[in-house]
Amino acid sequence: MKLRDLVRLAGLEVLALPDGEVEVRHGYTSDLLSDVMGHCPEDSILITVQNHKNTVAVSTLAGAHAILVVHNRPIPDEMLTLANREKVALLRTNLDQFTISCRIGALLGLEARG
Amino acid sequence: MSDLPKNYISEPGLNGEGVEQPAEPLVLIEMIQRLKVRDVMTSKLVTVVRASPLREVQSLMKAKRISGVPVEEGGRFLGLVTINDILRALEGGYIDETCQKHMSTKLVVLEDDMPLSFALRYFENYHYGRFPVINREQKLVGIICQRDINRALLLELANELNRLESEWVLSKATAQPYNLYVLREFPVSKYDFENAGKAANKIKQILQEKKFPPKVIRRIAVAAYELEINLCVHSDGGSLSWQISNGRAEIIATDSGPGIVDLEWACKDGNSTANEWIRSFGFGAGMGLVNVKRVADEFEIESTVNVGTRVKAVIYIDEKQKDES
Amino acid sequence: MTVLEAARRLNAEVIVEGDAVTHPIRHVVASDLMSDVLLVDDEDILLLTSLASDQVLRTAHIIGAVGVIVVNGKSLPTSMVQVARDLGITLIKSDKTKYGACIAIHEALERV
Repeated sequence: MKLRDLVRLAGLEVLALPDGEVEVRHGYTSDLLSDVMGHCPEDSILITVQNHKNTVAVSTLAGAHAILVVHNRPIPDEMLTLANREKVALLRTNLDQFTISCRIGALLGLEARG
Repeated sequence: MSDLPKNYISEPGLNGEGVEQPAEPLVLIEMIQRLKVRDVMTSKLVTVVRASPLREVQSLMKAKRISGVPVEEGGRFLGLVTINDILRALEGGYIDETCQKHMSTKLVVLEDDMPLSFALRYFENYHYGRFPVINREQKLVGIICQRDINRALLLELANELNRLESEWVLSKATAQPYNLYVLREFPVSKYDFENAGKAANKIKQILQEKKFPPKVIRRIAVAAYELEINLCVHSDGGSLSWQISNGRAEIIATDSGPGIVDLEWACKDGNSTANEWIRSFGFGAGMGLVNVKRVADEFEIESTVNVGTRVKAVIYIDEKQKDES
Repeated sequence: MTVLEAARRLNAEVIVEGDAVTHPIRHVVASDLMSDVLLVDDEDILLLTSLASDQVLRTAHIIGAVGVIVVNGKSLPTSMVQVARDLGITLIKSDKTKYGACIAIHEALERV
């Protein structure tokens, strides 16, 4: 699914969307950056509570196209700046991790990896 | 830093049995720690100079009903003339000579910011009737004798008894089981992730046994847990203490450093000085103090760099407390 | 759905059976950040986490969780098993990712 469509269908707030046409195939939910580094699949959307610039760095390394911050956590300026520079989408929802993971899982229609 | 009693029940092993402790034996210990020499001493000083004759000291003692007169010039404390010096002078026939020649100069002094417990120990060890009190600048600021201590302690005891009595009456009146006087302290060591959180779990278990309202238990436990983790993650070590009395739960975290540079920044959601290693334990997201604030009815934080931090969270168990504040 | 049923749905291994194995799960929380978990106000919670530490159980106890599922097939430290027993919390280990476990639990809850 195109990231732009996922954003619309899941009702996500957009903070940075450098490329809406990019294809998102998986979801990955984690708040531990080492875990993201080790397990997050490519072409995915990372669902996390970690509103930190290091999340952007790890996402680029893991090949995630988007970071979705849950609980409407405040986004520090440096995180937004880095997301724009590294061409990673930065999205936000007021929902919790479980609820939004389920919603995105339903939209991506997965065999829900794992 | 802390105005907390230091000598109350401490529970290093977390395996103590009794929960309620009568407040009485603690009160006195707490009092002599809390009261400083300056709170008890006489600061309206009657002094003489070196050139003053001993006879002048004798009449001062008689007029003011005191037993020791410091010799002081321009704020400098030079010596002390005691009633024994005067008796010897009368006996030896040199009562008209000056203080300079006969005053005691080898003196044991107390400092004004020492706890009263210190003064008590001095009286026991030295068998003097009084001690001159100096401040940090070595200036003479007062004199303390046994009578001063007796008076101060009686006064404080009366206040404390009044307080306990009114608390007791209140707890009887509301007949709530959670108006018991509970006081505990848990030490927390730096980076001790194995034990961090144990105190909060223990608090929750105790409150569950006491049948506190579940929502209140949750809030107390959350505040205790976050403060405990903060001590473990950010401080050089400290202690978590909690007290329940009078329908209020007070949770206090104190540590001995390193202190917080920017309190406002540290209390803001998402701000944290934690490194990746700490984040890998599931902490350091900058939500801890925010969470404490969220569950607390009262929240206080004070910190001095290189000295330490003290955080206090109060949770009202009685809804009535809310109306009063 | 109870925690044991949830474990069955995930094909997960039950390491410790806690006190509340017959309680129906009323709320599911997924998180690896303990402060984030403490934000929850509900009761009878199932906690999904990729963190394998004693702290997960201590936090779960604070919020009154009925069970904890550690995902990603992480090996659990022995101390964790002991803490789960002490605090009476059901401890489950799953090979799924947290994302996958969320979806599977959600589907199971929908079906109940």
